[in-house]
Amino acid sequence: MGETIASEEMHEYFDRLEARLKEAIEIANRARARGGDPKPVVEIPLAKDLADRVENLIGVQGVAAKIRELETKMSREEAALEIGRQVAEGMVGSFPTKKDAVEAAIRVSMATLTEGVVAAPIEGIDKVDLGKNDDGSQYIRIFYSGPIRSAGGTAQALSVLVGDYVRRGIGIDRYKPREEEVERYVEEILLYKRVASLQYTPSEDEIRLIVRNCPVCIDGDPTEEAEVEGHRDLERIGTNRVRGGMCLVLAEGLALKAPKVKKHVNKLKMDGWDWLETLIGGAKSGGSAEDEQKNKIKPKDKYIRDLIAGRPVFSHPSRPGGFRLRYGRSRNTSFASAGISPASMVLLDDFITNGTQLKVERPGKAAAMSAVDSIEGPTVRLFSGDLIRIDNIKEAYELRPQVEVIVDIGEILINYGDFLENNHPLMPSPYVFEWWRYDYEAACPEMIPEEELKNPSVTLALRLAGEYNVPLHPKFTYLWHDINRNEFEALRRFVVEKGIFLKGELDGEGILKLPLEVSVEENIKPVLEKLLVLHRVKEGEILIEEALPFILCLGLDNSLREKASMPDTDNMVEAAGVLSRFKVYPRAPSRIGARMGRPEKSDLRKMSPAAQVLFPINNAGGMTRNLVSASDYTSCMNAKIGEIEVELGLRECPACGKETYFWRCECGEFTNPKLSCPRCKIDVRGAETCPKCGRKPTSVANVKLDFRSIYKQAFENIGEREKMDLIKGVKRLMNGQMTPEPFEKGILRAKHDVYIFKDGTVRYDMSDIPLTHIRADELGITAAKLRELGYIEDIYGKSLERDDQVVCLKVQDLVISYDGGEYMLRTAKYVDDLLVKYYKVEPYYNAETIQDLVGALLIGLAPHTSAGVLGRLIGFTKASVGYAHPFFHASKRRNCDGDEDCIMLLMDGILNFSRSYLPDKRGGKMDAPLVLTTRIDPKEVDKEAHNIDVPARYPLEFYRATEEIKNPTEIESIMDLISSRLGTPEQYEHFMFTHDTSDIAAGPLNSSYKTLGSMIEKMEAQLSLASRIRAVDAPDVAERVLKSHFLPDLIGNLRSFSRQRMRCIKCGEKFRRPPLTGACPKCGGNVVLTVHEGAVRKYLEISKEIGERYGVSSYTRQRIELLDYDICSLFENHKVKQLGLSDFMSGSAR
Amino acid sequence: MGKGRENQVEIMDEINIVRAVIEEGYQISPLAVELIKSSNSPDSLLKYVLSTVDDCVFVIEPEHIDLKGFEASRAVSEVASGSSSEIVSRMPSDSASSPALRPVDHEMARILNPLSNNLKETVLVSSVESEPASTLGVPDSNPETDSDILSSREPTLDFIANPVAKSVADPVPNSTNESGSSSFVTASTANSARGSLSSSVKSSLSSGGTERQASSFFGQAGSPSLSASNHVSRTNSLFSNPGNAFPSRPRNEGIRHLSGRNPVTVISDITGHSTCVGEYMQFVQYFRDRYSRLSEILRSRMNARPIESLKRRSFRRGSDGGNEELSIIGMVSDISSTNNGHKILSLEDPTGSFSVLIRNSDKELFELASRLLLDEVIGVTGSVTNDGNLMMATKILQPDVPNSVQRRTGSHGKAVLISDVHVGSSQFLEDAWLDFLDFLKGESDSEEMREVASQVRYLVVAGDLVDGIGIYPDQEMELDILDVYEQYRKAAEYFREVPEHIRVIISPGNHDAVRQAEPQPALPERICVDFPENVTFVGNPALVDLDGVRILIYHGRSIDDLVASVPGVSYQEPAGAVLEMLKRRHLAPTYGSRVSISPEKKDYFIIDPVPDIIHTGHVHTLGVQRYKNVLLVNSGTWQAQTEFQKRVNLMPVPARVPVVDLADFDVKILSFD
Repeated sequence: MGETIASEEMHEYFDRLEARLKEAIEIANRARARGGDPKPVVEIPLAKDLADRVENLIGVQGVAAKIRELETKMSREEAALEIGRQVAEGMVGSFPTKKDAVEAAIRVSMATLTEGVVAAPIEGIDKVDLGKNDDGSQYIRIFYSGPIRSAGGTAQALSVLVGDYVRRGIGIDRYKPREEEVERYVEEILLYKRVASLQYTPSEDEIRLIVRNCPVCIDGDPTEEAEVEGHRDLERIGTNRVRGGMCLVLAEGLALKAPKVKKHVNKLKMDGWDWLETLIGGAKSGGSAEDEQKNKIKPKDKYIRDLIAGRPVFSHPSRPGGFRLRYGRSRNTSFASAGISPASMVLLDDFITNGTQLKVERPGKAAAMSAVDSIEGPTVRLFSGDLIRIDNIKEAYELRPQVEVIVDIGEILINYGDFLENNHPLMPSPYVFEWWRYDYEAACPEMIPEEELKNPSVTLALRLAGEYNVPLHPKFTYLWHDINRNEFEALRRFVVEKGIFLKGELDGEGILKLPLEVSVEENIKPVLEKLLVLHRVKEGEILIEEALPFILCLGLDNSLREKASMPDTDNMVEAAGVLSRFKVYPRAPSRIGARMGRPEKSDLRKMSPAAQVLFPINNAGGMTRNLVSASDYTSCMNAKIGEIEVELGLRECPACGKETYFWRCECGEFTNPKLSCPRCKIDVRGAETCPKCGRKPTSVANVKLDFRSIYKQAFENIGEREKMDLIKGVKRLMNGQMTPEPFEKGILRAKHDVYIFKDGTVRYDMSDIPLTHIRADELGITAAKLRELGYIEDIYGKSLERDDQVVCLKVQDLVISYDGGEYMLRTAKYVDDLLVKYYKVEPYYNAETIQDLVGALLIGLAPHTSAGVLGRLIGFTKASVGYAHPFFHASKRRNCDGDEDCIMLLMDGILNFSRSYLPDKRGGKMDAPLVLTTRIDPKEVDKEAHNIDVPARYPLEFYRATEEIKNPTEIESIMDLISSRLGTPEQYEHFMFTHDTSDIAAGPLNSSYKTLGSMIEKMEAQLSLASRIRAVDAPDVAERVLKSHFLPDLIGNLRSFSRQRMRCIKCGEKFRRPPLTGACPKCGGNVVLTVHEGAVRKYLEISKEIGERYGVSSYTRQRIELLDYDICSLFENHKVKQLGLSDFMSGSAR
Repeated sequence: MGKGRENQVEIMDEINIVRAVIEEGYQISPLAVELIKSSNSPDSLLKYVLSTVDDCVFVIEPEHIDLKGFEASRAVSEVASGSSSEIVSRMPSDSASSPALRPVDHEMARILNPLSNNLKETVLVSSVESEPASTLGVPDSNPETDSDILSSREPTLDFIANPVAKSVADPVPNSTNESGSSSFVTASTANSARGSLSSSVKSSLSSGGTERQASSFFGQAGSPSLSASNHVSRTNSLFSNPGNAFPSRPRNEGIRHLSGRNPVTVISDITGHSTCVGEYMQFVQYFRDRYSRLSEILRSRMNARPIESLKRRSFRRGSDGGNEELSIIGMVSDISSTNNGHKILSLEDPTGSFSVLIRNSDKELFELASRLLLDEVIGVTGSVTNDGNLMMATKILQPDVPNSVQRRTGSHGKAVLISDVHVGSSQFLEDAWLDFLDFLKGESDSEEMREVASQVRYLVVAGDLVDGIGIYPDQEMELDILDVYEQYRKAAEYFREVPEHIRVIISPGNHDAVRQAEPQPALPERICVDFPENVTFVGNPALVDLDGVRILIYHGRSIDDLVASVPGVSYQEPAGAVLEMLKRRHLAPTYGSRVSISPEKKDYFIIDPVPDIIHTGHVHTLGVQRYKNVLLVNSGTWQAQTEFQKRVNLMPVPARVPVVDLADFDVKILSFD
């Protein structure tokens, strides 16, 4: 492996982790040697680096060594293509057929591209096949399936390139599509867009271009129910259903990432890809990016196009009053997460808290939120008329009931790196303290204390501006750009005519008084509010404190006389500057629109239905799958108690020949599946196929299992008393061999109330939030404990002694929620019980409180990936999130835009995980720790993490660049980015941040989205908030929610009612249509509907009401009206309606 | 139901009662359940109640339970028990909708008539309200029969009574059964109803009699002697269940008749008769009705046994070494393929289900099987394997149209068939549409067109009159008129230009402002009021008699399903899809796919009786075909290609109008683009 470049301290850290890992594995190996697990050794192979992971994931021998060799010579992507070629040509690994070699080559290449972490190379490519062109030559077909999504666009696109690259090597021709096939692709991709979703939908001509020219046939399994309507039953396309994998690769891969593919094509000098030029050329013409290059940032409304009920809009696109952009990075932001003031969280009705995902206007699509209290909070108008800014969370809670309107929702902290990562032009920075400070430093030789600079008095601010020509301090800079000339002039006139300026005792502390009633009548107060000129209302007067700078900016003197005439400009910032003769800069030129995405998560992982042991009991345990009641189950009156009929794999002991259903025989030998032909019923010993009929043999059979004795025996084995109420099993095993877990594990899990995932491990899910620096006092631990864990000094190089010193977080250390800690504690107790009572070895954790778990090793694992990452628990947080170093998240290929993933205890993972438990179906290998990364190498994590900036202060050039709306890449070299530190020990250490926060977990504990009850309640809260925020158009929110959530729901449910499936309430069997007998043909149980009138009507009333209340468009109201009519027509007996009339008629007829 | 266990038996009773009631489309109050339970024979009482309860009743209350009448009927049925009850119970099945009259039916009718008459008298004495035939508890397997129509007590406003005198002279010979049935009918309305029908028969006879002889038969070979047999077949297919003389339950919708120069009779239409309230049993009942009615059609052609009986038998090889051939009739509930490429059908009837294997070596049969649709009803003949688990099919029978159905007498004049007008859509071809209106007004430029126009008596619109709102996402981008009522007002404006003498019939489609679930009722009153007098609104589907020519109007939602599942059926030739419907005698066989259904008591999609014309639309392409003397027309559209159609590569055929000659069923396509 490549040598890790790190300081001695970091080396020590890694060595320590690995030593503890080794120790744990030894214990686990010893334990497993005694238990009934599928294998007597730990089943998670360790991978120190990418090369190891690729080899372990794909299972081609020799690949790791080759990758390491290639990586020294070329870039990752080149190496990936090269290794693919070598595998295909048989230089690495050996394969029975050409096809197998090509298949392995593509998988290896793709795994290398995705850092050997995601499951896409194994799950996303179903198979590779050879097809026949009409001219008789052969071509390659790559069958993509749904999980290819997890590879990301670039890797998807490059996998096609790999296919082409390797086919040349072994002399297979290119794919020559028939015209009908081309059209099929067009229809299918557009259909996929409708039934699923595509980030980017290529135009029809783009699709045609790609299909006609792509040298490899992009094929796939059907993933969607939808079928194409034209272009059916084509000879060379095996399905009429939509092939999701194919659509993804073509649209989000090739079409979207054409420039990247082009780059590699050029490097490799491959022919036949010139058409990419056309694709790239064609795509550029429309681009809104161009506009933004021309110094214009236009509002984008994409993030509010699909509004969901109950998830409020916080600001319409780029609207005054929305989030004010502030550049910078706090220790808990960056990497697609942004910071807002905890006061904003509170005043936005607790909808946002740490970890809540917001869909944002820019720079990316979404961001997770973190509390940063060093930035400005919201400005609100109270019912009293006061306009105040609330920065403090306590104040926010106190004043919340008095808030009438949220005039401005506060600042949002976004770091430069996120603009760079999204390649979004830098939006003009507001004139903030950080920037002002450069101007001050450049002009003023005086040494003024930092605190005074941050919050200067009027006197100081005016003196600096006057004497040194330092621009007006941001504190006294108002949002002049948010008002127009008329408003400006009216305000000026009003202050001259009606204002009274009381000079204070100290110079500059003067108060401006304006009569309240008149200023409301003449719409002056709203102008003050737009400007964010804070004021209080007392005894019929508006009082503006520290008003002198404001008065000066209006061009008045301190006797409120006009001292300069209004300049001829429509730019009010400029006007304020000219009138005051100060330099005045825009205070909030960039606003960011946002709405709530999904709430934060911190919860234990349960399968649905939840399970505690992978032991099948069919229906014997009732709907709760209770193994306790299964042990008393009787199928009929005189059946044996506890005998259940389940599907299990028959196994046989090679030593004593005994038949069993378990992995290990009573004699201690490991068993083999006893295969027989499902049709001929003959034993097939060891053969691949049935000698008689050629069918694939199986060991699975429906057996009558004496569960009661297994149950009793298990309790006896571990010395537990049989007093459990509930042990949850599964209905049916999903693994191919259908062999259950040892039942003892279930007893102990039930005892400690922990649940398992499909692979037998206990997991806890949390939203990902980055964290680069910690303080002992906010993690519920002490500085002493931190020192014990290897933390020596704080960020300023001082020795770590106090609990409130800020230290740089080590890359594999994790902070989890208290709830997660409690669950891990239960898991630790279960693991100890398991070690002692089942495996009969010594306990490992010996944990009594969650504090005892500090320092314990964990495995982090993200969905869609197959590689776990080793982590260490160092503390707890009250926020419902999982904090970790951005590298740790990146090594799981996650960023922090609202994703969530899980942790498990290391010992639980290595003791209980087995590949043999994984479901034998597509996607079964996803989300399972197939390998474990032991050491994070920043070079081998997702490249996104390289774009994180880590300086203590952004340079002045940065702020200047934002004024010009430069592309972030133009100033990449002057920003202190991770990418510039790679390959040096600094890649792990000495990171800084620009904005601190006093508490990373400040803010509400849980989002109101989670605490509010019904959807209707959430919706009410959403709309009530909408009508209180100035930047939100409540009727528009109502309309959008109706259009994108309630109406589709109504239509969808109405449709599914009329096409619904039926279900047996006894055995759960589903029916496409009701059986003619009426009852369940399997068990005779009652069959019921799956969609009821209630489900259809659910949102009807609220939709009608909201439509009325918010005056939504008549089009939408009519749609609701028609749906109402439709629903009534369907669910009301028309004959009843006629009752009155027919009564009368029939009466008179007789 | 959450009562104690000790009441188990009672509770079961209660559930059974409630279920039986729901199955019939009613609800029942707990008091009424108690009352029925307390009877000494709750079973028969329940049957009696269900068969006598008034149609207008929705919730059965104790006052609807006529105990006296019940006692009386029991007394009668005891008298008539034995042979007669057996016959009666067999009646519905034997009186299958076989178009060919079978002697046995006449026999039975004759035997039964006096008996029933007696019954009637007896019962009427004791209870005025009870229905004589119903007291016998005749299972209602053929709810939609001619007799139902005749005896309908539904007060229909449009009904115009014909002189009673007409009913005296029955113009149709050889209809013993019919006279039998009429003898049951007590109210004068019934007579007049029959009268109106007979009169229409008469008029069409006189007007079309000679033409018919001369006209060609669309290449249908083997149409034997005309006059007499035409009479018969016409009668048969109109009164499609000739044997079923009993007004088994007077619950079916009434026919609507509009007289005048161009009379219209709406024979079958959901409008005002939807009983769905969204319960499980209604779904069951809907499919049972489908099964029973379609299986009756098949039963006349094969001797099928209940599926359950197959399981109980032991199927040892017979003495001759070969397996015995058996037949079953079932609804297809699943179709799958084996590894070796054979097909396995799962067939279901109300007694159980059974798997049927179709070997791919039997090319013809396999070909047929690969065109089968889920939920269609078929008959299968074959032998059961030794283990009794599988039937090896040798023959598959679809209900189809019997060859014996011959072309009916035409009428005179012309009917114009259109659909999918899509008023309000930005793609609506207004110019072409206005040309079309000019044509109807007789203002075309060409003499020939004016000549055609002068003969037009009917204009039939098979759905999608307007483009509607909210039918698909972002539809507002493709609309010229955003207000749906405005769309209809615009449409009404257009229809006011249609000459008054032309009778317009409008049936809704999936874009119209009625419920999406089919059968769809006619457009709501609020919309209809804007349209002129000569416009008649019907449901979808609707069977309508246009002065002697029966036309089945269906919008055609199910064509999407058929195109997707039947090989060779395409959007380019939509009439092919309609032909597939006709073979199955069902407009929308497959449940749960693209057609939304409302589970009604009766399956309105069943094609019975066989009409003269089936008119569909929906897919915006034009198609005309003939199949066994049924004219199949899918009319095109008045909307240019939409964004959606561009994507799925569908070229619409706008502004083409099929005009059907009602005398000889000749079709002319007029073009207005």
